[in-house]
Amino acid sequence: MSLIGKSVIRTDAVGKVTGKTPYPSDVNFEDQLWMKILFSARSHARIVSIDTSEALAYPGVIAVFTAVDVPQNSYGLIMPDQPVLCGPGSDQAGADIVRCYMDNVALVVAETEEIAAAARDLIKVEYEDLPAVYDPYEAMKDGAPQLHLNTPKNILCHYRIRKGDMGSAWQQADVVVEGEFHTAYQEHAFLQPEAGIGYIDDEGRVTVLVAGQWTHEDQEQIAHALSLPLEQVRVIYPAVGGAFGGREDMSVQIVLALAAYKLRRPVKIIWSREESIKYHHKRHPISIKAKWGARKDGKLVAMEAEVVGDAGGYAYTSTKVLGNTNMMVAGPYEIPNAHIDTYAVYTNNIPTGAFRGFGGPQGAFAAEGMMNRLADALGMDPVEVRRVNLLTDDKLAIVGTPMPKGVTIGPVVEKCAEESGYWQRKNDTFERLPVEQPADPAKRRGVGFACAFKNVGFSFGAPENCWGTIEIHGDATIEKVVVRHAAAEVGQGTHTVIMQMAAEAVGVPMEKVELIASDTAFTDNSGSVSASRMTFMAGNAIRGAAEIAVQKWKDEDRPAVGVYQYRPPKTTPYDPKTGRSEPNFAYGYVAQIVEVEVDIETGHVDLIRVISANDVGRAVNPQQVKGQIEGAVVQAQGYAIMENLISMEGRILNPYLSTYLIPTVYDIPKEVKSVILEYADPIGPWGARGMAEMPFLPLAPAIADAIHDATGIWIDRLPLTPDRVVKTLRENGIGVAFS
Amino acid sequence: MYPAKFDYYRANSVEEAVKLLAENSDAKLLAGGHSLIPAMKLRLTQPALLIDIGKIDSLKNIKANGSLEIGALATHARVAASADVKKWFPALANAASLIGDQQVRNFGTIGGNIAHADPASDPPTVLIAAGATIHVRGASGTRAIAAEDFFVDLFTTALEPGEVVTKIEIPNLSGRKSAYAKMSHPASRYAIVGVCAVLSMEGDTCKEARLVVGGAVAHATRLSEAEAVLKGKKLDAAALKAAADAAIAQVGDDAMGDITAPADYRRAMVGQYLQRAIQSALG
Repeated sequence: MSLIGKSVIRTDAVGKVTGKTPYPSDVNFEDQLWMKILFSARSHARIVSIDTSEALAYPGVIAVFTAVDVPQNSYGLIMPDQPVLCGPGSDQAGADIVRCYMDNVALVVAETEEIAAAARDLIKVEYEDLPAVYDPYEAMKDGAPQLHLNTPKNILCHYRIRKGDMGSAWQQADVVVEGEFHTAYQEHAFLQPEAGIGYIDDEGRVTVLVAGQWTHEDQEQIAHALSLPLEQVRVIYPAVGGAFGGREDMSVQIVLALAAYKLRRPVKIIWSREESIKYHHKRHPISIKAKWGARKDGKLVAMEAEVVGDAGGYAYTSTKVLGNTNMMVAGPYEIPNAHIDTYAVYTNNIPTGAFRGFGGPQGAFAAEGMMNRLADALGMDPVEVRRVNLLTDDKLAIVGTPMPKGVTIGPVVEKCAEESGYWQRKNDTFERLPVEQPADPAKRRGVGFACAFKNVGFSFGAPENCWGTIEIHGDATIEKVVVRHAAAEVGQGTHTVIMQMAAEAVGVPMEKVELIASDTAFTDNSGSVSASRMTFMAGNAIRGAAEIAVQKWKDEDRPAVGVYQYRPPKTTPYDPKTGRSEPNFAYGYVAQIVEVEVDIETGHVDLIRVISANDVGRAVNPQQVKGQIEGAVVQAQGYAIMENLISMEGRILNPYLSTYLIPTVYDIPKEVKSVILEYADPIGPWGARGMAEMPFLPLAPAIADAIHDATGIWIDRLPLTPDRVVKTLRENGIGVAFS
Repeated sequence: MYPAKFDYYRANSVEEAVKLLAENSDAKLLAGGHSLIPAMKLRLTQPALLIDIGKIDSLKNIKANGSLEIGALATHARVAASADVKKWFPALANAASLIGDQQVRNFGTIGGNIAHADPASDPPTVLIAAGATIHVRGASGTRAIAAEDFFVDLFTTALEPGEVVTKIEIPNLSGRKSAYAKMSHPASRYAIVGVCAVLSMEGDTCKEARLVVGGAVAHATRLSEAEAVLKGKKLDAAALKAAADAAIAQVGDDAMGDITAPADYRRAMVGQYLQRAIQSALG
């Protein structure tokens, strides 16, 4: 019997399809109150005073909370640099300053949502405007407004990579290419806007039922802000309607806990779509200046890059995201000489943070853009130029240390080319086949290539571990197996996969497995569902726990309980001067080939076909793996072509799905061919790697390459909207000129 | 949002609707509701009374007899599927088929659509190109308005208070070649730019061209400069390019822009879609 590699039907499928599964907005208590948040009306200002008297006098209003009501007025995933509520009177230094429009100023709790909204509009806030800065390059200049104490020039972090000898490196290069790449904001646009309910549970704990990605981290941040011991705070995740990194940081968690704690009554909130888009973080727009050089045979000799990411008003996970970009900007290649500077910079824009790929897509856009330009300049096939340079187990990564064993980017690239139908292999050489052009002269087709790697798990020395518990119940025979695990089911199928792995590890059919999940009162810390880590981490934790439980079962313990904490090999942070580090313990590898049709008169880029080859180590549930590949491709298509978040002086101008366009059935590719490769990871459970982010990474650079193939023009700024494409083509003499 | 409170009355005849409109200054007609209800939910309009004309069956007919007559309550889906419309004026059937999605087309009506006069709507563009006539009835009787004079500005028509659109009449276009070319907004499917061409040809030569643009400007408008350029010309690439340039020049600063399609882009696309409409009409 093996459940590993079987596409079992998701355990949450029936409930979700029939509408029975409760999401946070579906949960109600009889005596519940409703909350509305007053957000900042300025991008950078000191709050002089807040007058809540009219709001408090409004019939049906129960309470209005401001900064003075927060026991410890700060929070933040990597550093507590953001006030829970901005305003005067709190003991937190700088908490009276709003630094972006998403800062919370006051909470109104009332008998109904309508009353709370009406009363919110009666709150009078007196602001004293401060000079603001919206461009990270401007923010880094002397004399720019400084957002946070101890952060001169607003530089939240600066990473360096110094490898080899740049003095002589460029002389070895026969070809040097340069480019300036600009990526854009992206909104997570998960199906379920932020919602939750805070209450006091039967054991007196401040409890928040909410959608998130890491129960125990939410619990910690709530406990910190409320100055409560951890065990007096409880976090429960019901079904979560998508996350993609957008729920890694706090949204409604702390404010719900605060209101429930103060009022001892259930308090509920549901954000509108507009609130969701305006008030949670975004993918980082990153600018990258890059220069790469290679010998005639394609061998890379040197690269340099300057990477500047807009962090917005608060840190969120910017230091980690830009840490990733700092490495990913060199691609999965062996490069003997490198010089990289990477900055995350505070501005008065919306904060930026985690989003599927976590800094990798931006790095890949530049790295793959450079490789495709080198191929073009050298007259080499893009697949061949990769084959000369790709990392292997024996080569040193850009951080000066060997990769974790199991580097498979070489075979992944070759498989992708072979399976695509656009290349043929002759002897040991890959050759591009010509692509058929449409009869309509306005339409041009092109094919593009890109590849990437994505770390699995937390990086750069961050504490990394995952707990799992297996209980075997029964007497002579096993009646049931209970798994306790905190992994958040955000729609990715992790609960199904955890139950598959538990059944396999104990050796029982899946029907015997029960899951108790995502409640800090009943499960240990499993870490976040992020960094493509949960299958890898949970699988190893469950295997460990099952081994103990099975032994205890044999020893006739009833129930036989195994509790296990999996700890992967240690990672290390960047050396501040050279960037040398052992950044990660595992990777997934991916390559993509796309065919696009460019309408050179209108600028429309139609993504026709995508071939995505992914080394997932072991596909525990192949149907779920395919779903992740197709989902990542479509989300990356939006990022590359359609999604155009407009921020003007820190304010988002299109916070609606009618104006912030994401792909629909009208837009998605006619075919996404998922090539699932299973080259086992040496330390992955049953060989599995993480895979949910990596298919996102190569798509945008592959599309840019295909546009170049179709038109001869490189476009290095995202998104590739029709007006941008048509303008760029016309500037380069393609398409019909107009005044 | 929920709409503000309103009263509801169902009219069983055009006469009754006209009477109710005359008696209630703050009333609106409800047909398919696909423009009115969203506007009410956004509180952009807050009528005290809705007069539902949706059950007046006499306004739903489509018939071809000397001219093509389309009742004001014909849904977009029926217009798109009608054999008479496809035969008489295929550009209109095509335009109707491109509106919104199937659910919108099943409810939205051609009369409601033109009375609402959304600048990004498709029917006004093709109806002006066809030289259609809009028949209306008010308290003082009936009158006929040329489609070209009907659309006055953003969401503004030549309808007087109390008038009801009853039918749309399209003249005999036999021998003309026509087509509608449209760039759809990816979310709403409204026209970012829509151009309709109705051509009278003598061999390769254009005797007369009626060219109308919608979406890019405040209301559907004849591209008279481009029409003049093509009159008496062989419709080769150079002539089309000259017409496109003339159209772009005529649209000029009137081009509207938004986040999805800035004004300069829309203006340029008027030229492209003009050429596409003509090419499509010529087959």
